[in-house]
Amino acid sequence: MMRTTTLALALAVGALVVASAQQTPPAPTSPAGAGGLNRGPAIPQGPAPRLPNGKVDFGGVWQGGGPVGDIRMGLAKGETIPIRPEWQAIMDKRMSKEDPEANCLPTGVPRRDPYPWRILQTDTHTSFLFEGNIHSYRQIFMNGKHPDDPDPTWYGHSIGRWEGDTLVVDTVGFNDRTWFDFIGHPHSDKLHTIERYTRTNLGTMTIETTVEDPVVYTRPFKITFTARLRPGEELMEYICNENNNWVGNITGPAKDF
Amino acid sequence: MTRIHAAIVGLALLASGGAAAAHHSFAAEYDANKPVTLKGTVTKVEWMNPHARFYVDVKDEKGVVTNWNLELASPNVLTRNGWKRNSLTIGDEVTIEGSAAKDGSKMANARVVKLADGRQVFAGSSGGDAPPPARP
Repeated sequence: MMRTTTLALALAVGALVVASAQQTPPAPTSPAGAGGLNRGPAIPQGPAPRLPNGKVDFGGVWQGGGPVGDIRMGLAKGETIPIRPEWQAIMDKRMSKEDPEANCLPTGVPRRDPYPWRILQTDTHTSFLFEGNIHSYRQIFMNGKHPDDPDPTWYGHSIGRWEGDTLVVDTVGFNDRTWFDFIGHPHSDKLHTIERYTRTNLGTMTIETTVEDPVVYTRPFKITFTARLRPGEELMEYICNENNNWVGNITGPAKDF
Repeated sequence: MTRIHAAIVGLALLASGGAAAAHHSFAAEYDANKPVTLKGTVTKVEWMNPHARFYVDVKDEKGVVTNWNLELASPNVLTRNGWKRNSLTIGDEVTIEGSAAKDGSKMANARVVKLADGRQVFAGSSGGDAPPPARP
């Protein structure tokens, strides 16, 4: 019985993956029926909620919001990525087994992964808790100031401010060890990102990121991704390093993704 | 939960260009053009990160037994899709359809896992480019 139920769930997932791949908006769900294939809440509709202080409340568990496979998927139509040829050559030689993400190291910014994450908001800090890869966090100092000479880190040093209902996050002080995506788009430790988080409605958040890195890219460029709320979801433990013993078997070049 | 999750998995598929549940590129490790079908007995289940895995003894026509290493999505993704750590247990007779590792080792990404009585388990493969299982 258990296996029958779980099979039905899995089939529902499969069917909906196909449906959503056609970019149709998710239909409101009906109560359990059709063998339990249509269970679960729809993505909630309605305006973005607000905190008692009047600011938009970003709190909740979200999915997506940044590049996973290829950062170019976030470019505006017709745009190209302004990578310098010598860095394109470096990228083309990268092997997938060298991807920091495959080695259970942080994604950095603006990369995301296929795991849910939670936003926690206070007057002084905005925090992102990442379930996966890796089980880590980012902290954004509200109305803070960058240190004069920050030590290079995986997520950099982030300060946040409000522009109307948009949370603007400015980050410097990155190391040069993360990739922007599976295919290995590189950056240097001169990377500077400006992320603009806008909760366009209850269930949707747009994240527009300006990427500046004069060492690797000839000009700043903008990417936009959308995160979706996962109502009722909780983060689970995910310790990537627990059993990552087969990364050496990944033989292909990163660009083959 | 299921429907939301499914829609989100779909969006993640779009965003990632195919790797719904993996922390690395599927195409760099497995060859979608090298399908394998394996039949054998489960010898070990690793309900661990970053990928759940199980191992199967497969006997060839000469009676030689080879142990295969089958990769699934992460336990969290499988759990959210309704699977449990004991959905598959040692001694289960299974038939697996998947994609073989590019490096030629006895590893594959398991797309469809069928028990002896035809029931399917673990449909949440880590290879997003694998088609979902057919409706029974």
